[in-house]
Amino acid sequence: MCASVKYNIRGPALIPRMKTKHRIYYVTLFSIVLLGLIATGMFQFWPHSIESSSDWNVEKRSVRDVPVVRLPADSPIPERGDLSCRMHTCFDVYRCGFNPKNKIKVYIYSLKKYVDDSGVPVSNTISREYNELLTAISDSDYYTDDINRACLFVPSIDVLNQNTLRIKETAQALAQLSRWDRGTNHLLFNMLPGGPPDYNTALDVPRDRALLAGGGFSTWTYRQGYDVSIPVYSPLSAEVDLPEKGPGPRRYFLLSSQMAVHPEYREDLEALQAKHGESVLVLDKCTNLSEGVLSVHKRCREHQVFDYPQVLQEAIFCVVLRGARLGQAVLSDVLRAGCVPVVIADSYILPFSEVLDWKRASVVVPEEKMSDVYGILQSIPQRQIEEMQRQARWFWEAYFQSIKAIALATLQIISDRIYPYAALSYEEWNDPPTVKWSSVSNPLFLPLIPPQSQGFTAIVLTYDRVESLFRVITEVSKVPSLSKLLVVWNNQNKNPPEDSLWPKIRVPLKVVRTAENKLSNRFFPYDEIETEAVLAIDDDIIMLTSDELQFGYEVWREFPDRLVGYPGRLHLWDHEMNKWKYESEWTNEVSMVLTGAAFYHKYFNYLYTYKMPGDIKNWVDAHMNCEDIAMNFLVANVTGKAVIKVTPRKKFKCPECTAIDGLSLDQTHMVERSECINKFASVFGTMPLKVVEHRADPVLYKDDFPEKLKSFPNIGSL
Amino acid sequence: MQSWRRKSLWLALSASWLLVLLRVFPLLRLAVPTRPWAGAPQGWPRWLDAELLPHFSQPGELPKDDLQPPRGPRGGSCDWGSCFDVSKCRGGRLKVFVQPVAGPISDAHRGILASIESSRYHSVSPDEACLLLGLEAPAGECSPVPPQWNGGRNHLVLSLHPAFCPQTFQLGQAMVAKAGPTVDTFRPGFDVALPLLPEAHPLRGGAPGQLGQHSPHPGVPLLALAEERGGWRTAGADSSACPWDGRCEQDRGPEQTHPGATLPNATFCLIPGHGPDALHFLQALQAGCIPVLLSPRWELPFSEVIDWTKAAIVADERLLFQVLTALQEMPPTRVLALRQQTQFLWDAYFSSVEKVIHTTLEIIQDRIFGASAHPSLLWNSPPGALLALPTFSTSPLDFPFYHLQRGSRPTGRFSALIWVGDPGQPPLNLIQAVAGSQHCAQILVLWSSEKPPPLRWPKTAVPLTVLAGQRKASDRFLPHTAISTDAILSLDAHSSLTTSEVDFAFVVWQSFPERMVGFLTWSHFWDEARGGWGYTAERANEFSMVLTSAAFYHRYYHTLLTHSLPEALRTLADEAPTCADILMNFLVAAVTKLPPIKVPYGRQHLEARPPLTPGGPESQPPAQDCINQMAAEFGSMPLVSSRLRLDPVLFKDPVSVLRKKYRSLEKP
Repeated sequence: MCASVKYNIRGPALIPRMKTKHRIYYVTLFSIVLLGLIATGMFQFWPHSIESSSDWNVEKRSVRDVPVVRLPADSPIPERGDLSCRMHTCFDVYRCGFNPKNKIKVYIYSLKKYVDDSGVPVSNTISREYNELLTAISDSDYYTDDINRACLFVPSIDVLNQNTLRIKETAQALAQLSRWDRGTNHLLFNMLPGGPPDYNTALDVPRDRALLAGGGFSTWTYRQGYDVSIPVYSPLSAEVDLPEKGPGPRRYFLLSSQMAVHPEYREDLEALQAKHGESVLVLDKCTNLSEGVLSVHKRCREHQVFDYPQVLQEAIFCVVLRGARLGQAVLSDVLRAGCVPVVIADSYILPFSEVLDWKRASVVVPEEKMSDVYGILQSIPQRQIEEMQRQARWFWEAYFQSIKAIALATLQIISDRIYPYAALSYEEWNDPPTVKWSSVSNPLFLPLIPPQSQGFTAIVLTYDRVESLFRVITEVSKVPSLSKLLVVWNNQNKNPPEDSLWPKIRVPLKVVRTAENKLSNRFFPYDEIETEAVLAIDDDIIMLTSDELQFGYEVWREFPDRLVGYPGRLHLWDHEMNKWKYESEWTNEVSMVLTGAAFYHKYFNYLYTYKMPGDIKNWVDAHMNCEDIAMNFLVANVTGKAVIKVTPRKKFKCPECTAIDGLSLDQTHMVERSECINKFASVFGTMPLKVVEHRADPVLYKDDFPEKLKSFPNIGSL
Repeated sequence: MQSWRRKSLWLALSASWLLVLLRVFPLLRLAVPTRPWAGAPQGWPRWLDAELLPHFSQPGELPKDDLQPPRGPRGGSCDWGSCFDVSKCRGGRLKVFVQPVAGPISDAHRGILASIESSRYHSVSPDEACLLLGLEAPAGECSPVPPQWNGGRNHLVLSLHPAFCPQTFQLGQAMVAKAGPTVDTFRPGFDVALPLLPEAHPLRGGAPGQLGQHSPHPGVPLLALAEERGGWRTAGADSSACPWDGRCEQDRGPEQTHPGATLPNATFCLIPGHGPDALHFLQALQAGCIPVLLSPRWELPFSEVIDWTKAAIVADERLLFQVLTALQEMPPTRVLALRQQTQFLWDAYFSSVEKVIHTTLEIIQDRIFGASAHPSLLWNSPPGALLALPTFSTSPLDFPFYHLQRGSRPTGRFSALIWVGDPGQPPLNLIQAVAGSQHCAQILVLWSSEKPPPLRWPKTAVPLTVLAGQRKASDRFLPHTAISTDAILSLDAHSSLTTSEVDFAFVVWQSFPERMVGFLTWSHFWDEARGGWGYTAERANEFSMVLTSAAFYHRYYHTLLTHSLPEALRTLADEAPTCADILMNFLVAAVTKLPPIKVPYGRQHLEARPPLTPGGPESQPPAQDCINQMAAEFGSMPLVSSRLRLDPVLFKDPVSVLRKKYRSLEKP
C-alpha cells in the first residue's frame, strides 16, 4: 500500500507526457482504488458490533446446550494412577518455561457432555461447586486461554464426587482430551473419593500421570510432593452465616457432632460422655424433627435439639472422626467455629499439609487412643488452646471458606513447586494477619560478631566546606579499623578539590560525585562500600577522637544489626498536642541516634534507597531534613531493636560551639523535626522507635584504673 | 494540462489521506478496551443456569456404607499411628535403649553410643525403654536380628554411613534413620532422614559455620558448582555464559577448581541431586553457601521438622536457565536470610555427630508428645529445638529467645533468688536493697547452710519465701517452682547491691532477655604456657563471664541447665562453687553465641566485699581445671568476649545530678 501511495505522489510529474486515454485510465484506476478502500473501511467499522454481540450471546449459554461427545465402548482407558510419580519424573516442567511473574499458567478444557455408545450420560455434566471452581481459576492470574502456553491443564470433566460418575467411561473421556498425553500436567479435583464397599482413599478413575487434588488421602495413596491434599468443601460455609467468636469460655470441653459414626466409635464417645459428664457432648442426627426442618441444620442429644453448626461455637475441642472416608466436611465447619479439631483418623493426610502446619490448629489422636482423648486434651495449656482456636478460624478463612479459596491454594502449591525461589514462606501460609502484622523478622538475625579485621568504610557527605571536610578526613583516618574513606560530593556546581590538595591518608580515599544535591545520597549503597560496617559522618564532626570512633566500631561489631551512634535523641508523646515530639535535651532515655556520626550495616543503605515505605525518601529529599530520623525509623521497624548510643554527651563540632552538639536547637528546627516524626509514624502505621535507658561505654570507663592501661582512654573529654 | 495535474494531485492526496485514516482508525478502536470479544481471553463461560446446577454432594446424603468397620493398617507400609506403640512410653516420655552389638566396635560407634548415653533419653534397661535403637554395623559386618526384635515394632535402625551390607533382616515395622534416603522408599512421618556425614565428622562440638559476615562480600562469586570428584568449581556473576551441564569444561577462563576438602566460597552452591552429592550439601551449609539442589532424589535431612525453604532452594534441573536467572535476580533480603539460616541450621543440628543423633531422638520425642511438641518456630529459628525444651513450654513467649520475632518484650518484674551458704548469715541489708526495687516481685532465699534458717525475717514490701537447699552449688540453678517471673536476679548472701543498681540492671535485661546481665566480670584467656584455658577476675578491658552472685537472667536457663546438660557437668559444678558460675556462663554463651552484659557496679561494694575472686591462676587450680573440662564437654569454647559496659544514658555526664534517674550510681 505504501508503495502505491508513493507512486501516486510522484504521479503528476509523469502525467504530462502521457496521452489523454492514459489519463482517463489513471483516473478510473484511482477512483476504483478509492472506492475499494472506502468499502473496506466501512466493512471494518460496522460488522464488529454485530460480531461481538453474537459473541455475548454465546457466552450466556445453558449447561444443557453444550456439545455432546459420544465415547465408543472401545476407546482407550488411561492406566491406573502411577504411585511412584514425583514432580521430577511425571511432570513436564518444560511446559512451564520461564514466567516473569513466577506463576503457572492453567488452561481449562471447554465443557462437553459425554455419553456412552448407547447415549447414556457418563456423569452429571457439571456440579455447582465444580463450576465455581473453574470460574475461580478462570478469573485468577493463573488462567490462560492459550492451550500452547499452558503449563497445567484442568479438564472440565467433574470428578468431585466419585459416586456421581461412571468410572470406566469417565476415564475414557479423560483419555480423549486433546493434550492428555498420559495425563501429564493434568490436574483433577476430587473431594469424595472411593465407593462402596471398601472406599479407596483416592479417586478410583484411572488417571495415569495426572496430578490429583484429593480430599481424603491416606499415607498409602498420597504421593508426597505430587498430589495435593485438599479439604472436603462444606456447603454450610455458604448457606449459614456464622460470625467469628473469639476465644473465651465455652460451655463444652469436647463435642462430637458427626452423624454417621461407626457404632464402635460411638460407644467410645458415649463412654467419654458418661465419664466426664457435662463437659463432653455427643450429638447425633435427630429422629423426631417436624416436617420442613432441614435435618442438616439440627443435631440432637436424646430429646434436646441443637442448631448446627452454631453448636460448634460452644465447644473448645470438636471431634473429627473418620467415616468410611477419611476426609470429612465437618472439619471445615469445626474450623469455622473456632473449635479446635481433634482429628481421629489414622493415616489421614490433612488438607494442604504440604504447606499448613496443622500442629498449630489441631490435635491428632491415634484411633486406638480414643478413650484417652480427654486426658490428652487436658494436658494442653490454656494459652496454647486459645492460639489454636484463632489459628483454626484463620485456616478456615484463608483456605476452607469457599471453593475459590480451595482452588487458588491448590494452584499456589503447585506453582510454588515449580518456581521454588518465588514460593510463599511458612509464615505467609500459616501466620494469621494479626501475627504477621506484629511479628518482626530481623534481616540480620544470626548472632554473629563480625571479625575486627574487616574494618569499616567511612562515608562523609559534603557540600562545599572543604576545610572542615579535610579536618574530618584527617581525624577519621587515624582510626585503626578504618578500611576506606568515601567522600560523597553533593555539590553539582563546584568541582571537588584537586587530588593533590586532599589530605594524604593511609587508606583508599574515593570521591563520589552525585547528580543531584539530595540528602538520600549519603545512604546510597555505593559499589565502593566493601565492608559491612559503614560510618556515616558529617563534614563538620571534628571533635570525635580516634578512641571514640574505634570504640564505636567495636560496639557495632557486638550489635551489627543496630544503629550505633554518638549524639542521641528521644521522641516523646506530647499529651497536650496529642502528637509526637522531638527532644534533644539532657534526658535519661534515648530512642534515636543522629546519623551525623553513626555506624550501621550497609544493608540498611539498600533498604533506605529501595525499600523505604511510602513517600518518605522523596519527602526527605524535598524537605532537605530528617534523613537521620527516617533511617532510625527504618532500622527500628525492620529489626524491632533499639539504637545504641555510644560514649558520653559532648560537643561534636567545635570546642567553642554554643549548641552542645551541632545542629541548631532553635524552635523552628525542633518543630520541623517533630513534624518529621509524626509524618513517619503515620506512614509506618506505627511508632517503631524503641526507648532505652542505657548507652555503651568501655568496660573501664571512669573506673578507678590507670588510664594508660585502658584500651580507650580518650573518651568523653569535651 | 494544469487542471489535470491539479486534479490528479488532489486525487493522490485524498487517496493517501484516506489510506492513512483507514489504517489508523482500526488501531484506535483496538486501543479502547471494550467488552470481551473474539481475540480477548474467553475464560470459563458464565452459565445462565449456574444457580440451578446440582451440588456435588447432597447435603445430609449419607451413604449407608459410611458405617463401615474401622480398618487396620494396610499393606506392608507403616506410618506412625499404625507401627509405633506410643503406650510403651511411660508418662509420654521417650526412653531409648541401645541394642548391644556383638563383637568389637569401632571408635565411631563408641562415640555414637556415648552421645546417646549422655542424652536425657537414655535408658539402661530394655523393659523401661519405648524405643530400641539398633546401630547399623559399619562396612563389612552385617548385624544379625537383634533380641526383642518383635517384628521391628518400636525399633529404630540408625545408619549414619551408607550401608554396604544388604539388610540381613526384614526391617518390617522398624523406623529407619539413614543418610540420604531416596524419596521413593522414605516413609514420611515415620522414617527419619539423616544427613550424609563425612567419615571424619567431629563427635561433639564441631566446627562453627564459616560465615564471617551477614551479607556476601562484594568480590565473592555468585555460583559454585559441586563436582563429581568432590570439589567445587566457582564462577563469577557472568556465569550465564556457562550452562553448567559439563559443556563448559573446556572454557576454564574465570573459574577455579577447589581441591576436595575446601569449602565453597560463593553465594549459591549448585548441587546436582544425585546420591553422593549429599556430602556437598553439608559442605555448602557449613560454608554459608546457599545450597541450590537440582531435583534431589533423596529426602532432605530432618525434613519433618526443618523448613528447608528458608535455607536452601530445591529447584528442577530441567528449568536450569530459569533457576540461574532467578538466582541472579534474587533480592538481597532473601539472599541475606537464606545465608544466615544455613549457618543457624549447621550449628544447631549438623555440626557434630552428637547433634545429629540428638536431633533424631528429639524428632521422635516430638511425635510422642503430639500437641506439646516443639512448634515449628522453635525448630527453625535460633537457638534451635535442641536448646528450646518443649517440656518447659510450648509457647514461644515463655522462652527468652523469641520476644523480638513476636514484637513483644518480657513482662515487668523479677524474682530475687538469694543463695545462702555457710556460715549461714541472713543477708538482711541485701534483702532490703533488693526489695526496694520497684521491679521486684518476690524474694526467694535458698537456704543451703548447716545452720537452720532464722524464724523471723525482716518485713519487706514483697513476699519472701525460704527454700531448703540440698547444700550443693548447683542447687541455685534448679528450676524451683516457686519462681514466678521470667527474670531471676541471682544473688549470694554476701553480695552487695544498691536499689538503683538493681533497677538499672533489670531495665537493661528487659532489652536483652536472652543474655546474662551482671555486675562483676571475669574473662577467659588461652594460656599458652599451660596449653589450656584459664580465666581471671582481674579488671580488664574486656570480659566474657558475669558472676552469678549478682546477675539477671531468664529462668529458662535453670530448666536448660538441669535437664539438658550432661550429669558430669553438673557434678563438676557441685565440686567447686566457681565452676557453677562458669557453667552457667558457658551454657548461656553456647545458646546465644553472644557475650554477657556488664552494668556499672559501685566501687564501695568492691571495697566491702570479702575476697571471693580467684586471685590468680595458681591460687585455685581445681577451678582452673573446670574451665578446661567444661570446654572439653561442650566440644568447644563457647565464651565470647565483650569490650563494653552499658551505663545509664547520663552516667557521669556534666549535668545536674537532679536530672539523672540513677543518681546513686554516680557516687565515686
